[in-house]
Amino acid sequence: MTQSSLTRRSLLACAGAALGSFTLGRSSAFAQSTATLKIGFISPISGPLAGFGQTDGYVLTQARDALAAGVTINGTGYGVELLDRDTQSDPARAGQLARDLINNDGVDVIVAVSTPETINPVSDACEAAGVPCISTVMPWEAWYFGRGAKPGEASPFKYTYHFGFGVDEFYEAYISQWSLIETNKKVGVMYPNDADGNAIRAVLAPKLIEAGYEVVDPGAYETGTSDFSQQIAQFRAAGVEIFNTFPIPPDFAAFWRQAAQQGLHRQIKIVQLAKTGLFPADIEALGGLGDNMASAAYWHRDFPYVSPTTGLTGAQLCDGYEAATGKQWTQQLGATLSAIDVAMAALAAAGDPKDRDSVAAVLPTLKADSIGGLVDFTSGPVKNVAHGPIIGTQWQVAETGDFDFNYVITENATDTNVPITGELRAYNA
Amino acid sequence: MTGLILNSVLLGGYYAILAVGLAFMYSVMKIINLAHGALIIFAAYGLHLLGAMDVPLYLSIALVGALMFGLGMGLHAAILSRASSGGALLPLLATFGLSILIDNLLFQVFGADNRSLAPLVGDLSWASFELPGNVFVGQLSLYILLAAIVIIAALEAVMRFTTLGRRIQATSQDRATASLLGINTARTAAIATGIALTTGVFAAAALGLRSAWAPYSGAAQLLFAFEVVVIGGVGSLWRVLVGAMVLAIAQSIGAAIHPQGFLIGGHLAFLMAVFFRLPTWRAAFAPIARKGVSA
Repeated sequence: MTQSSLTRRSLLACAGAALGSFTLGRSSAFAQSTATLKIGFISPISGPLAGFGQTDGYVLTQARDALAAGVTINGTGYGVELLDRDTQSDPARAGQLARDLINNDGVDVIVAVSTPETINPVSDACEAAGVPCISTVMPWEAWYFGRGAKPGEASPFKYTYHFGFGVDEFYEAYISQWSLIETNKKVGVMYPNDADGNAIRAVLAPKLIEAGYEVVDPGAYETGTSDFSQQIAQFRAAGVEIFNTFPIPPDFAAFWRQAAQQGLHRQIKIVQLAKTGLFPADIEALGGLGDNMASAAYWHRDFPYVSPTTGLTGAQLCDGYEAATGKQWTQQLGATLSAIDVAMAALAAAGDPKDRDSVAAVLPTLKADSIGGLVDFTSGPVKNVAHGPIIGTQWQVAETGDFDFNYVITENATDTNVPITGELRAYNA
Repeated sequence: MTGLILNSVLLGGYYAILAVGLAFMYSVMKIINLAHGALIIFAAYGLHLLGAMDVPLYLSIALVGALMFGLGMGLHAAILSRASSGGALLPLLATFGLSILIDNLLFQVFGADNRSLAPLVGDLSWASFELPGNVFVGQLSLYILLAAIVIIAALEAVMRFTTLGRRIQATSQDRATASLLGINTARTAAIATGIALTTGVFAAAALGLRSAWAPYSGAAQLLFAFEVVVIGGVGSLWRVLVGAMVLAIAQSIGAAIHPQGFLIGGHLAFLMAVFFRLPTWRAAFAPIARKGVSA
């Protein structure tokens, strides 16, 4: 109790301090001949969410190398400094890091990447302090409504902007993906009792039913559950042929092995994973059961776009990562770089990139090219959000190459520029 | 119904194997080892590393077991013996700190990837026996249950019938008197710690085969193990098996009522056990002998 009131008070104090330093910082910036643009970057590098952050170091190196010479905006040359911070997967720390970057480092814009636990507290801190914030990689509904915006009302946010997928994209990708194989249209779903799971249950499941699918939902389960016999029995009895889930990887490994013990895997034609199955290690951990798991990607190396910041294509970025680390590329590489692309575009579009209000003023009309495609804030579902794609994919055992699985694109309903690179295979084939 | 009971018993076997090291450490040394979960994850990485070098799993278990035994002895000498001389709270803090240290060390070395031992054993992780009445019994779950029973029986036998076991019992009951009788109590306690950590290797194998883990997975394992030990109570190690079964049955009943009830069912059983034991807890951790198992 004491702690939370302290935090609130210090938040207000920070906001005040930020406003005060804003005017001072601005005048001193004018005095210097070459000012430096400071970009804060916050992501989960360690802790339970570290799977998302493990490629960020490489992406930051690429961006720093590309920006080392500085940029010219409106005829003025600026140096660019990227200040990266690790949330340790802790939401409280994420907010603290944002306030620290704002008050002590005087950043001009903050980039927050991956999961509600990272993005929401950072966005809240930025909104309170009046610092522009760009974020991606979480369902936008959980970002927008989860932070207090109301459906049908004007957006309460002035400084914080998010781009990327929402439930609609999942819906379109799933409908497109599931029509590729003949099934009985019975979908078994396992959505956990967390921010993502509850949002998906409330919004996606009714749309699937509307589209003619029969949804078998045993109800929310708690993350960390170690036995799923009840749910498995229900799926077997209902004869589901499609399975959709949003679990953390260890829960899914336990669940799917138990399902296979009960013979459920022989009746299921499409295993559609989200949250788990984003990264190759999740699938490798499943062993022989991992082949032909379907997934959905917010970015893929075959996206036909170039990062304006670094000049890299998706393939170049991923090949570079694999050469530098010896590990297989992940979709987070492009997602992280796209957020930096958008932040740079926002600074470039602003009349004065050192003026936070000037940057915030251009964001609602910003159309930024990125390695993930065009990010268009003028056509988003709500004022502070731009759409991003979700592309249907499948993990297929690799016949050749250094890695166990290929990540194949099987449908492209939410971004038709993305090439389809393979055919969806039935899981139980 | 048959399926529910069968599954609970098999799940109980897994919890028993998770908890036996924690219970052994507590009953012998009076130390609640909060690093128990982290040490299991540590051992799991050892098994995974050897598995990647094509060492068969049974051999890996033996090798990592030996390593953990040595580590346990070292741990006792370096940390636990000092901490436990400073009162009941100090070992708690020390092992809590140790668990944070291990978690982050593992993260630094192995990164954030989820890993599993299942690929090492082919189809065993999901193979099953089919019983009449369309009931499937996971082979792996059955082997884990058997392993738990064998481990507990072996530890009980060591404690009752060997000189080492009697030394350990004497040391745990009254260290001063035991040393008067010529027992090297420091060495005995170190060996007991080593044994406790060695059982963690079996827990690591069970965890790795039935699920997956990442560097920070230790806390969840510790929670289940802790609940088992509290529900079962201290004394004979067979109480661990009983505690594990009670936890598993409570969770399964919870899940049968509502899918979200799985963990809550277990927590309720745990709370009931805590309230049931409150007066006895006040009596300064006296062995709980008279009353039967609660919940």
